[in-house]
Amino acid sequence: MGLWNARYEQVTEPGRHLTNQPMARFIIRRVVVIIPMLFIVISLTWALVRLAPGNFYSGEKKLAVGVEANLREKYGLDKPWYVQYGKVLKNIARLDFGTSLKYEGQSVNQILWRALPVSAALGVSAYIIALIVGIVAGTFSALKPYSWIDYSSMTLAMLGISIPNFVLGPLLVLLFSLTLFWFPPALWDGFPSRSLVLPALTLAAIYIAYVARLTRSGMLEIMRSDYIRTARAKGLSEGQVVMRHAMRGGLLPVVSFSGPALAFLITGTVVVEKVFALPGLGNYFINACFNRDEPLIIGIVAFIAITVLVFNLLVDIAYGFIDPRIRYA
Amino acid sequence: MWDSRSRFATTLIIIGCLVAAGCLVSARNKSFFGQTDPPRENILRYVSGSEPESIDPQIPNNQNEARISLALFEGLAEYDPKTSEPVPALAERWEVNKDWSEVVFYLRRDGRFSNGDPITARDFVYTIRRGLTPEVGSRSASLAYPIKYAQAFNEGGVFVYDPAAKTFLLEKDFVENADQAKAVAPISSASPDKNPAPPAANALADSEFHRFMQEPARLVLPGSEKARKAALEANPKIKAAITGKQFVPVKADDVGVEAVDDYMFRISLMQPAPYFISMMPHQFFRAVHQKTIEKFGNRWTDTNNIVTSGAFKLDSWNHYDRIVVSRNPHYWDAANVHLDKIIFYLLDSNTTMLSLYKSGGLDATYNHTVPSAWLDVIGPMKDFMDASEAAIDYYNFNTTSGPTKDVRVRKALNMSLDKKALADWRHVRPLTSIIPDGIFPGYPHPNGDPFDPEKAKRLLAEAGYRDASGNFDPQKFEASEIELIVNPDSNNVPYAEFIQAQWKQNLGATIAIRIMENKTFFKAATNLDYKGVSRTGWAADYLDPFTFLSIFYTPRGSNGTGWWDPKYVELLDRANRMTDHQKRYEMLAQAEQIMLDAQPVIPLTVGTTRWMKKPYVKGLYPNPVTLHSWKAVYIERDPGKWDYGMPDMSK
Repeated sequence: MGLWNARYEQVTEPGRHLTNQPMARFIIRRVVVIIPMLFIVISLTWALVRLAPGNFYSGEKKLAVGVEANLREKYGLDKPWYVQYGKVLKNIARLDFGTSLKYEGQSVNQILWRALPVSAALGVSAYIIALIVGIVAGTFSALKPYSWIDYSSMTLAMLGISIPNFVLGPLLVLLFSLTLFWFPPALWDGFPSRSLVLPALTLAAIYIAYVARLTRSGMLEIMRSDYIRTARAKGLSEGQVVMRHAMRGGLLPVVSFSGPALAFLITGTVVVEKVFALPGLGNYFINACFNRDEPLIIGIVAFIAITVLVFNLLVDIAYGFIDPRIRYA
Repeated sequence: MWDSRSRFATTLIIIGCLVAAGCLVSARNKSFFGQTDPPRENILRYVSGSEPESIDPQIPNNQNEARISLALFEGLAEYDPKTSEPVPALAERWEVNKDWSEVVFYLRRDGRFSNGDPITARDFVYTIRRGLTPEVGSRSASLAYPIKYAQAFNEGGVFVYDPAAKTFLLEKDFVENADQAKAVAPISSASPDKNPAPPAANALADSEFHRFMQEPARLVLPGSEKARKAALEANPKIKAAITGKQFVPVKADDVGVEAVDDYMFRISLMQPAPYFISMMPHQFFRAVHQKTIEKFGNRWTDTNNIVTSGAFKLDSWNHYDRIVVSRNPHYWDAANVHLDKIIFYLLDSNTTMLSLYKSGGLDATYNHTVPSAWLDVIGPMKDFMDASEAAIDYYNFNTTSGPTKDVRVRKALNMSLDKKALADWRHVRPLTSIIPDGIFPGYPHPNGDPFDPEKAKRLLAEAGYRDASGNFDPQKFEASEIELIVNPDSNNVPYAEFIQAQWKQNLGATIAIRIMENKTFFKAATNLDYKGVSRTGWAADYLDPFTFLSIFYTPRGSNGTGWWDPKYVELLDRANRMTDHQKRYEMLAQAEQIMLDAQPVIPLTVGTTRWMKKPYVKGLYPNPVTLHSWKAVYIERDPGKWDYGMPDMSK
C-alpha cells in the first residue's frame, strides 16, 4: 500500500484506543521513510537544474570570455559533475544548503529563515480564514440543504475554485486599492498589517471553497447517521447535536485536507507573492528557478518536501484523536 | 432558488460596475496617473527593479543594481542628470595625454567615505585592482580591459621572462596584427593630431612604475597549461621563442593604475580609448573601502559593515522588499543633497509598480515600466516621461549556416520590413543603422537599407529562389529553414508577430516564431545554435558610439551573429587613435557602414525611456541611460513649481 498516504484502518470493536506502543513505532517508521524520500527529491531536482540550459550568469548582456571563466572557477562550476553533486549531498547531510550563486555572499539557510516567516504569516492567515469561513458556510449549507444559503454559498465556492488567484488578486487590487483606496496594492509591512489582507484573501479563496464543500458533504452524511438520531432521541438541542456530535465526524474530511493544505498554503504562495510583491519563499523560489540558482532551488525544494512530509505525518496522528474508530497499525 | 441566483447575479453586476467605474474615473483624469499628494517627509520612493544580486558596485552588471550603486557609491566622474555625459565628481578634472596612452585624474581633497576616511588616489588604485581580481568574479570587469594589463590580470595570464637576457618578451615581436582583434598600435605611431591635449602631468610625476607602463607591451600568454598549449600551437613563432623562458603571472601590481600622489591618479591604457572617460561613471569604477572589504570579505555589504563613498549610506536592506538609504553626513557635497532618504522598492512587475504608483505609494519608476498596451491611456498624461534612449532593439542573423549565410537573403529579410509601421504601432522610433540618432550630436549616421519589398524579392530571386521566368518564387524559398527565436520578456512576442506578418505580407514567406524560456534562449543565441534569426537588444554601457560598435569587435561574446571582419576592427582601432572628435566620428561611421553592408543584423527600433514621475519630484530627468544622480533630486511642495509634462532638458 501507499507508504506516504495516511495509513489507517477502521475497526469495528469499540474501546480499542491507540496505545503508545504502535503509535511510537508508526512515527519512527514514517520518519525513517522521510530520508530516502528526501534523497530522491534532491537528486531529481539537482539533475533537472543541471539539465536546464543556461546558467546563473547568462543573460541579455553576454559576459567577456575571461570574466565567465573567472565566475566558473569562483563557484566551482569547472569541477566534474560528481564532485559538485557530492558537495550538494554533503552540505544537505549537515543541513547547510550552501551559498546562493545569484546573491553574492548570502547563504541559503539565511534566505530560508528570512523568507519563511513571511510565507508562514501569509499562509497561516489564509488558513485561518479558509477554515472559519469554509466550515461555517459548509455547515449552514448542510443544515439547510437546497435552501438559498446552500445555493449561494456553493455557487461562491464553485467560483472560488474556478477563478485562478492570478486573476482574483489583480481584481481585488483594482477594487480595494485603486478604486476604494482601502488596502495597499502591494508590498510587505510586516505582520499583522493592512498589507496582508488582500494577499491572504486571494490565497484563501480556493481553500475556502474546498473546505466549504468538504464540510457540506461530510456533515450531510453524518446528519443522517444513526448516532445523530440517538443523540436527538436523548433530547439534546440541535446546537449540541451539531457541535458535540456531528462536527466531530463530519469534519474528518476537512481534517485530512487541512494538514496538506497548511503545508501547501505556507509553501505554495508563489503566485500570490509575485502578484503582491511579497518577500516570501514562493517569490524566492520562482526567481531562483529563472536564475538557475542551484543551491537556492535545492534548498527550497528540500524545505518544502520536509514540510509536506511532516504535515502529512501530523495529520495521520491527529486522526486518532478526532475519530476513535481509527487505530494505527 | 431563482431568487438566490438573481441575488448573486446582482452582486456580480454591482462589483462589475464598481470596477468599470474605477477604470473610467482614472481614464477621465487626463493630466496625471493617480494620486499627486507629495509624501509628508523628505523621502523619495523609487522602484529599482528585481532584488539586487549584490550591492557591491563591482560585482553585478545590471541596471537594477546600478540604480542603487549610484546612491551609495561615487566614482571619479558622475552621470550628468540630463545628458548622461561624464561630469566631475570625486575627480575635479582630468587630462588625457596626446596619444591617448594616459589619463590623469586630479582628485578633490575633501572626498570622504561614510566613516569619515578620506578618499585618495590609493583608494582608486585599490578599487580597480580589486575589481579585476579573478576571485572577485566581477561581471563587468571587461569594461576595464582598455587599462594596461588589466585583461591579462583578470584572465590570469602570464608574462614570459627571459632569464638569459633579463628581459620580458614583447608583444610586438610576435603578434602580426589581429586575427584576434587585439590590434596593438605602437603608441609612437599614433595618428597626427591637430588638437593637442594639455601636456599631461609629466616629468615631475615620473616613477619606476610609470616607465614600466611606457615600455612597449609585454607578451601575455594564458595562465592555464591547457589554454597556453593551444595558444602556442596557433603561433609557432611564440612556441619556438619560449623554450628556456620563465612564465611570470601577471599581478595586480602590474595593472596600469598608479597613485602618483594622494590626489593624483594615473591610468595607463593598452591602446587609445577615447570612450574611456565616458565609462568612468559606471559603478565598476566607483570607490570602495579597502579596510572594510579586507575585514569582512563578502559580508562587507551587510548593513552593519558597509562603508560607502556616495551621497547616501545604507540604512537597511529587507531582501525582496526594499532598500533604504539615508544621507551620508561625510559626503563632500552633503550640503547639496536634498533628500533625507530614498526607499528603493525591489520589485520588477510592471503592473504591480504602476498600481503602487497610481495609489500614491511610489514617486517614480524606471525605464520601460509602462507596457505598450497602456500607452493609449498613459501616453498623453503629464507625468509620463518619454525621450530618446541610448538603447536599440534589433535582430541577429546566424551568418554561419542556412539560407541566412547568404548576404542577399539577409538584405532581403531586412528590406521587406516596414520599420516605420512597427515603430508607429509601438510608439517608438524606427532604426535602420546600429547607432540611435539624437544621442551623439555630430555623428554622421550612415543610412541602412530602406523599406523596399520589390528589391527584396529581386535579391531573393538572385539568390536562387526563382521560378522559370526568373522572378522570386515564395514556394522555392526555404522558409522552413529559417526560424525567429525570441524570449518572452516584455514586448518581444508582439514585435516578433508583427515582423512575421510583414514577411508574410511582403514576401509571401511564412517564417515560424519559436518562443524560448530566457536562459534557454540566451544559450542558443550566444552559441549560434539557431536557424536564421534571433531577437536581441543593446543598451549603452557608456555614452559613446563605440559602445554599439564594439558589439561586433570580437567574433565571440556579445556578437551573436558569426559575422566578423578584420577590416571593421581595423577601422575602429584607427578611429579610436584619432583625437579629433569629428574625424573620429566619421571613421566610426565608415566602420558602421561596413557592418551595414554585410547586414549581420536587422535594426528595428530605438528605445524610448517610458517611465513615470509624479509632478512634485524635481531633478529627475528622462536622460538617455535612465540612471540618475540622486543628489540632484528633491520633493517640491509648491504646486506652482511642479513639472507639468517633461522637465526642461536644456542645460
